[in-house]
Amino acid sequence: MQTKRAGMSFITPYLYVIPCVLLLGIFVYIPLVANFYYSTLSFSAFSPEKTFVGLQNYKEMFADPIIRTALVNNVWYCVISVIFQVGLSLGIAAVLEDKVLRRVSTLLRTMYFLPVLISMTVVALLFSFVYHPKIGLINAGLEMIGLDSLTHAWTGSTDTAIFAAIAMSQWHSMGYTMMLYIVAIQGIPTDLYEAAEIDGAGRLRRFIHVTLPQVREMAFVMMVTTVTGAFMVFNDVYILTGGGPGNSSTTLAVYMYKNGFALDKMGYASTISVLMLIICMILALIQNNAFRSGKGD
Amino acid sequence: MNKRIALMLALAISLTLVCSVALADKVTVNFFHRWPNEPKFSYLNKLIEEFEAANPDIDIVADCVLNDSYKEKIRVLVSTDDLPDVFFSWSGAFGENLTKSGRVLALDDVIAADPEWADQIVDSQWAPFNYDGKQYGTPWSMDGKAFFYNVDVFSELGLEVPTTLEELYAVCETLKENGYEEPISAGFSDQWAVSHYLGTICQRVVDPEVLAKDYTGGGDFTDEAYITALNIFKDMSQYMTADPCSVNHEFARNVFIMGESPICYMQLAEIKYLRDDAEFEYAFFNFPAVEGGKGDPGQLTGAPEGMMISATAEPEVQEAAIKFMKFIISKEGGYRMIAETGEISCVQGAWDETNCDAKQLEAIDLILASTEPAIWQDCATDATIANAFMAGGQLLLTGDMTAEDVMASVQTAAAAIQ
Repeated sequence: MQTKRAGMSFITPYLYVIPCVLLLGIFVYIPLVANFYYSTLSFSAFSPEKTFVGLQNYKEMFADPIIRTALVNNVWYCVISVIFQVGLSLGIAAVLEDKVLRRVSTLLRTMYFLPVLISMTVVALLFSFVYHPKIGLINAGLEMIGLDSLTHAWTGSTDTAIFAAIAMSQWHSMGYTMMLYIVAIQGIPTDLYEAAEIDGAGRLRRFIHVTLPQVREMAFVMMVTTVTGAFMVFNDVYILTGGGPGNSSTTLAVYMYKNGFALDKMGYASTISVLMLIICMILALIQNNAFRSGKGD
Repeated sequence: MNKRIALMLALAISLTLVCSVALADKVTVNFFHRWPNEPKFSYLNKLIEEFEAANPDIDIVADCVLNDSYKEKIRVLVSTDDLPDVFFSWSGAFGENLTKSGRVLALDDVIAADPEWADQIVDSQWAPFNYDGKQYGTPWSMDGKAFFYNVDVFSELGLEVPTTLEELYAVCETLKENGYEEPISAGFSDQWAVSHYLGTICQRVVDPEVLAKDYTGGGDFTDEAYITALNIFKDMSQYMTADPCSVNHEFARNVFIMGESPICYMQLAEIKYLRDDAEFEYAFFNFPAVEGGKGDPGQLTGAPEGMMISATAEPEVQEAAIKFMKFIISKEGGYRMIAETGEISCVQGAWDETNCDAKQLEAIDLILASTEPAIWQDCATDATIANAFMAGGQLLLTGDMTAEDVMASVQTAAAAIQ
């Protein structure tokens, strides 16, 4: 038999939820809906006048070659980030957690994690010197070992600018995902490893049959944040290359910002942000199904 | 005890009332500018203090944010009723966009009512703030872009200052032969630097009428002269820093200052960097004439920056704002601006040997000798068109686009905004 708790009315739970719903509504969902509406308008931040243009912005967006360039760049960002931040950093985490490296693992962990503590703005400025064609570390290093022919204008060439930004991003972010994997690996019961060892499993087999299944949930979280992050990337590219030369290294977020605040095409910028939202939602849904997160094996 | 408290309360209320009445008599003018950084921040604050001391009935409330933030904030403010009473603006298309809100005051009556003040301002600097025949902004500081060169190197190699593009190329060839592999130091990773070159070359080459029509949104950028202009830029790049799109203008300037490249296209306002660091004699010349070009080679690329007044302010606030603007844009204000910040005032007679060095005086002469300022390309035309020129200009240099490709993208941009 249910009894009504003292002082607890039907409305009480809702009262507790209201502040959160209000905050989310005001700062997330209303702007989200408003953004859909803005994407059907043509307007300038200079003027209060807004013209309804229907789906014209969408039509323009699908015909815009720079959108295609930005999408390709985002896909590169995504693929490379998944390889490095979801895949390779798991390998590094597993190696650092191995008994052999236990003595130096703290030092190495700290070293790999340090870049995460530096603001992306600072990192991008730092890498602008690293990539500098005249005084940069990379070209100087290549020249020093006699590989002059490989020196390159890393951020000034349309072939390499986006990859220069992606590489910088991996340097900056791998320490973070590695640390999360380490936390997940440390949470794996040691008896699983002991049992595998008794069964004669070597390091690689222990990694494949114990570590991998046990960090699957963490890998899922990492995958979602890395993939959605790759489609929203802004700071790295904006500061390092500004999306150039031309628009060769632009990403959707950089192009959206440029349209909104440099070209004053607020409606078109809203349309690009709708595209970003849809892409991120689809990718999150696909990943959710693929990993069957939270449903066990 | 209660009586004492009551007395104190009464006193406090009376004081508040007195203060309120006193403040109510004061006119508050909101001033918005883009210099939270030194030396201009202190310079403006001092002027504000002096103005308030001289006008006890006016209270200036200043607010400031740095360049890009300023652009964003003033755009939003101009579309609301919170537009500051007096505010800074760039000339050209930026200022024109602000005036389209209908909230910026046309200053023609102010100028007509005080010709003594208006006549002090360098005549050529008014035009970039004149939109649809009305004067919306008052020019405050002026600037220009010129080729700075290393006089020591030129003298050593017996080089003359070039007056035509062909002569400039000949000078660059000689410099190359004498070990200066990159005679012109240039950095285009920031796209505005591309627009400074392209703006000048287009001005020299394209028919002024066509250029004016195209820049103001009435044209389609189909004139063949644009292709010629872009090809000149591409040709010129063979004498510039290698891979110029991977270095910025500051780096290019430093290379010039270090004496590694003997020529650099810089703003006259950058003299202050040379004054402090260059260990050689330097001078400057206007962008040379282009053979067959239809534009006036006497024009100097550059544009004034100025001030605007809100049209929506109360009449007494507007009057006070105009008074404040005239106080800043005055001979005294201009004299101190040059002395304290190094920026060149638009007020005639604000400069002499006591507040300028010889190079600054030469720079002023160059600006005054120019027939009229050719506004920076990214300010002269719509941002979408300017962006097509700048992004295309970079890709032209990297070899990813031809001049024809660049113009096709400019034409698409022009068609989109019509």
